[in-house]
Amino acid sequence: MEQKPHLAHLIHRHRDLETGKEKKYLEERQDSLAARLRAGNHAAAAELVDIYHGQIYLYMRRLGHSCQVSEDLTQESFIQAWQHIGQLRSAKALNSWLYRIAANVSKRHIRKYRGRKLFSMEAADLPDSTEDEYNKVRHLEQVGRLKIAVERLPVKLRQVIVLHYMQYLTIAEAAEAAEVTEGTFKSRLNRALKVLRNQISSEDGELQ
Amino acid sequence: MKEEKLQKLLNGLAKATEEPVRPGLAEDIKDQIPHRLTRHRTGLDTVSIIIDLRINKLTAAAAIIITLILCASLLDGRDLPGSGIYQDSKMLVKHLLSAQGLGRSEISLARTRYEYLVEKGKEAAYYGDSVDPEDSNAVLMQWRLSDGKYRIIFGDLRERTVSAEELVKLQSRMLQKKAR
Repeated sequence: MEQKPHLAHLIHRHRDLETGKEKKYLEERQDSLAARLRAGNHAAAAELVDIYHGQIYLYMRRLGHSCQVSEDLTQESFIQAWQHIGQLRSAKALNSWLYRIAANVSKRHIRKYRGRKLFSMEAADLPDSTEDEYNKVRHLEQVGRLKIAVERLPVKLRQVIVLHYMQYLTIAEAAEAAEVTEGTFKSRLNRALKVLRNQISSEDGELQ
Repeated sequence: MKEEKLQKLLNGLAKATEEPVRPGLAEDIKDQIPHRLTRHRTGLDTVSIIIDLRINKLTAAAAIIITLILCASLLDGRDLPGSGIYQDSKMLVKHLLSAQGLGRSEISLARTRYEYLVEKGKEAAYYGDSVDPEDSNAVLMQWRLSDGKYRIIFGDLRERTVSAEELVKLQSRMLQKKAR
């Protein structure tokens, strides 16, 4: 039981895992989880919730849904996941499978309530930093501007930024979650980065 | 360098937008995990819906028995064309009761139905006290339908409408088995 948060952490940061031991452990756990899910194991379904509910909730929040709506959409994503358990092909596809379901749930909600304003992301307190006070304030100002710029992005571009840079999915996983080819995903990512760079650069010459 | 700077800022934004999840959310989601995670088989829709509702087993059984009685009363034990609720209900009752380890569940269910039919003035006969509970082909009960045929319920709760001749054959087969 104590290993669950550890596994959740590993999955969340899987893109940056450096040691082979950690990677192997993660792969083994994911293999086991996916196999048990495909077999319809109830405990595996509960484990999936423990590992992913926080990530899916944050994904919804970062896509611009309110707290309450994000909770509802997170629940809906898992309900959809139970119904589409047969579509989970392999352990490697676990991330992209669940995120694809969540992305579709969000898309359907946005389409249903077209015209309703998406919420802004809520930024927490200052991140810990060893930089001096001046740099810290400057960094935060830039993060604040970036936050506004991300919120202004069209939904499709915002999605690629959130999936890859904030939910830490690899390009392959994020592309599958967004249901586009890797090429299309990279192209969207480049467009989104360009927009963000331009918006921040217009206020801050440093990124020019 | 520009790219790195932007990525660093995006990482900063990811950290800044992390927020705690409501503590009860995971449990709320887990409460909705259906009993059966595999794709439902066609023809078991009623069963699937009721199982997925995750209502108390006894409540579900009570609801289904009432449905069975209603069906039996209104339709002489036959489903409406295109509807499988009666057959599905029987399967659900079997599922619920077998999960509770009630070995003679089918017999108990048939007896409830027999008592109901008798109360309604139907010509019903019940053999649950003498048949082998393990014998799925044993006739548990029978009653006469308005068209002169007979409706019979087997040990595994299968139902069939038979003519008087077929009924006699089935009963004599049962007697022969018993004699052995």
